[in-house]
Amino acid sequence: MKKIVLITMFLSAALFAKVNVAVTYNYLGEITKEVGADNVKVVVLASPKFDPHFIVPKPSLLPKVHNADMLVINGAGLEIGWLPPLLRSANNSHVISGAVGFVDVSRTVDLLDKPLSVSRAFGDVHPQGNPHFSSDPHNIIPIAMLIAKKLQAIDSKNSAKYQSNLESFISKWNSYLAQFDADMQECKTKKVVQYHKLYRYILGRYNIESVGTIEPLPGVSPSSKHTIELIDKMRENDVNIILQDVYHEQKTAKFIASKSNATVRVIPHDIGSVEGTDSLENLYNTIKDRLCH
Amino acid sequence: MIRNALILSMLSSAALFANDDIDELKKQIAQLQQHLNTIEQTQKVNAQKELNDRIATATKSSSSFNQSAFLPDMSFILDASAVSRNIKNSEYKAYNMPGFTETPPVGAETEIPFNKDRGFNFNYAEVALHSVVDPYFDANVILHIREDGLEVEEAFVTTRGLPYGLRAKVGKFRSNFGRINAMHQHAWNFTSQPLVYEALIGGEGINSSGVQLQWIAPTDTYLMVGAEAMQKLTPESPNEENNLYIGYVKSSIDIGDTSILGGVSLAHSKYFEDEAIGLVNDSDIYGAELTIKSIFDSYSSLTLQSELLSRTQKTAGGSTTQAGMHSELVYKINSNYSTGVRYDWLNKNLDNQPDDLERYTAMVEYKPFEFSKIRLQFTHDKSKEFSGEQKDINEVLLGITIEAGAHGAHAF
Repeated sequence: MKKIVLITMFLSAALFAKVNVAVTYNYLGEITKEVGADNVKVVVLASPKFDPHFIVPKPSLLPKVHNADMLVINGAGLEIGWLPPLLRSANNSHVISGAVGFVDVSRTVDLLDKPLSVSRAFGDVHPQGNPHFSSDPHNIIPIAMLIAKKLQAIDSKNSAKYQSNLESFISKWNSYLAQFDADMQECKTKKVVQYHKLYRYILGRYNIESVGTIEPLPGVSPSSKHTIELIDKMRENDVNIILQDVYHEQKTAKFIASKSNATVRVIPHDIGSVEGTDSLENLYNTIKDRLCH
Repeated sequence: MIRNALILSMLSSAALFANDDIDELKKQIAQLQQHLNTIEQTQKVNAQKELNDRIATATKSSSSFNQSAFLPDMSFILDASAVSRNIKNSEYKAYNMPGFTETPPVGAETEIPFNKDRGFNFNYAEVALHSVVDPYFDANVILHIREDGLEVEEAFVTTRGLPYGLRAKVGKFRSNFGRINAMHQHAWNFTSQPLVYEALIGGEGINSSGVQLQWIAPTDTYLMVGAEAMQKLTPESPNEENNLYIGYVKSSIDIGDTSILGGVSLAHSKYFEDEAIGLVNDSDIYGAELTIKSIFDSYSSLTLQSELLSRTQKTAGGSTTQAGMHSELVYKINSNYSTGVRYDWLNKNLDNQPDDLERYTAMVEYKPFEFSKIRLQFTHDKSKEFSGEQKDINEVLLGITIEAGAHGAHAF
C-alpha cells in the first residue's frame, strides 16, 4: 500500500514537474516567470534590500541552488563575491558554470565602460564592464530571449509554450518601451550625480549626464576631500539631483544636497527594493518617475 | 537569385503599363542593374581586402600554442604582524598547556604557527590556485611560503558532476570537522587559533591527506552530511596506516534576517604505537558548533559563534576526558570597521591538572577596502605554563592581511 502511494506520488510529481529555476536577483525572477509561466518554479537568492555585490552566502541559500534545474545570474562580475562559494558547495552539476542550466544574462547585453586597464588601484572594477545594465528596460528583451532558449533546452517538451510566452512578452514589452521612451523624452532631468555608477545604462540611453559619483572609487567609502570636490563640481555644472541607492548610507548624499541646494532621489535597483515596485513595469515606472520629476 | 526575381517582377509589371512608360521603366531597370553591380563589386573588394588582411596577420602569428586562457585563477595572501608581549621569546617558544600539551624537551620548541615572536612576524605568503581540470574535476592548491620554506597547506581535487547531491574530495585538505577547522587563518575573526583546537588537536588543526564525501539533502532546509577518512590527526602520528575517521552533520535555518547554523562532528582516531611516544590509544573528539548571524544591512551584522570540543582517550585502566570551548561575538559596524570579543575556556582536564584554563581576546579591525585588513588584537591568556610555572600572558598585536588577485569569497 505504502509503495503504491509512493509510486503514484512519484509519477504525479513527474507529470506536473516544473522546472526549478534559481535566480540571483528579483528582476531575473520576474522575466523568468513571464517566459516560463506555469511551467517554472522560481526562487530568488538575493534580497532586494541589500547591495547586489555583497549578499551574505547564507547556508540556507544552498538548498535553493542545490534543487535548481537552472540558475540565472546577472553576470559581469556582480555575483563574484558571493555566488562562487555557494555554487561550489551546492553539489549540483546541472547549474555549475558551463552546464546547460547555467545562464549568464550579461552575455546578451553590450556592456559599457569596459576598463582599458584593469587594476584594483581603481577600486572594485569589473573587468567585463559595468554590470548594472538592468536599470535600462531596453535590456530586458534580449535577457528574456536567452532565458526562453535555455528553458527550451532544459524542458524541450514545452518548447512551443515557452516560444509563445516569449512572443507575447516581447510584444507587451515593446509597447511598454514605446510609452517609456515617449515619457523619457519629456524628462526634465539632464544632469545628475550618483552614489555608484548604478544607473549608468538608463542615464546613457536618455542622454542624462552623470557628472560624478559620491564614492571616490567603486567600492570605496566616501571621503571628505572627495565630497568637497564633488560639491564644487556640482555647483560648476549646475547639478541639483543626487541619485542614491537603497542600501548605502544616505548621510553623505544628504550633506551634499544641503551644501549644493540639490535633492536626493532614491532610485530602486531591483524589484522590491522600494515600495510600489512589485513588477517589471512598476520598477521602471518608479525609476522614471523618481529620476524625472 | 533575388536580383532575377526583382527584374522579372518588374518586367512583368512593366507589361501592364502603357508603351510610353516602358522606356522610362527600362531606364530605371538599367539604373538598378548598375547599382547592384556596384554593390557586388564593393562586396568583392571588401572580401578580398579582409582576406589579404587575415593573411597579413597570419604571417606574424606567434600565438599558435598560447595557453594563457587556461591559466588557473590565482590569488596571493600576505600576513604579517607586530607583537608586544610580556614574555621573552626564549621562554614563550617552550610554553605548554598543563594536562593538554607537554613541555617540549630542551632544545625543542612548541609548535606556534603564527605570531611567534615579540617584535615583527612575517607569518606567511599564501599562493592559492584554482582551476577547472576537465568536465569532471576542479583542482585547488594552496601553498604557504614561510621564511623557513614552502608548505603545502592544501592540495586537492573535487568532483564537479557526481549525482544525488554528492561531492567527493581527494588530496591534502583541512577537514570540515567543526566550524573553525576548515577555515584558513586569514579568514578567522581573531588572529590566534581557538585554545580548544590547539589543546585537543594541535596547532595545525585537522589537515591531512585523505578522502571526503559530502551529501546535501534534496530538502528546502539545508542539511549536509559528510564523512572523511584521513591519514592522521597530527603531524606527529606515525605513518604506518591511515588512522583517522571523521563524520559530521550540519544544518541551518533562517529567522528573518538571522541565520542559524548548527552542527555536530566526530573524529575517531585509531590506536597506534610509536617508538618515541609509545602506545597511543583510541581517541574520540566530539564537536558541537553553533553560529548565529544577524544581518542588519549590506555592510553590518552581529555574529555569535561557539564551539564545544571534548576528547575521550582510552587508557590502560579506562578512559580520560578533556574538554573546552570557545565563544566569540563579532560586530561588523560597516564596510570598514568591525570589533569583537572571544572567550576561550578549557574546563575539563586530567585528574590533578587545572581544569579552569582561560583566555580573553578582543579585537578591532579596519578594512580600507575589501581586499585588505588591519587588526589590533589584545590577548590575556591564563592557560600557559613555562617550565612548570603558570604565568599570565598579555599581548598586543597589530596585524595586516592582504588578499590580492582572483576575487576571494566572503565567507558566511
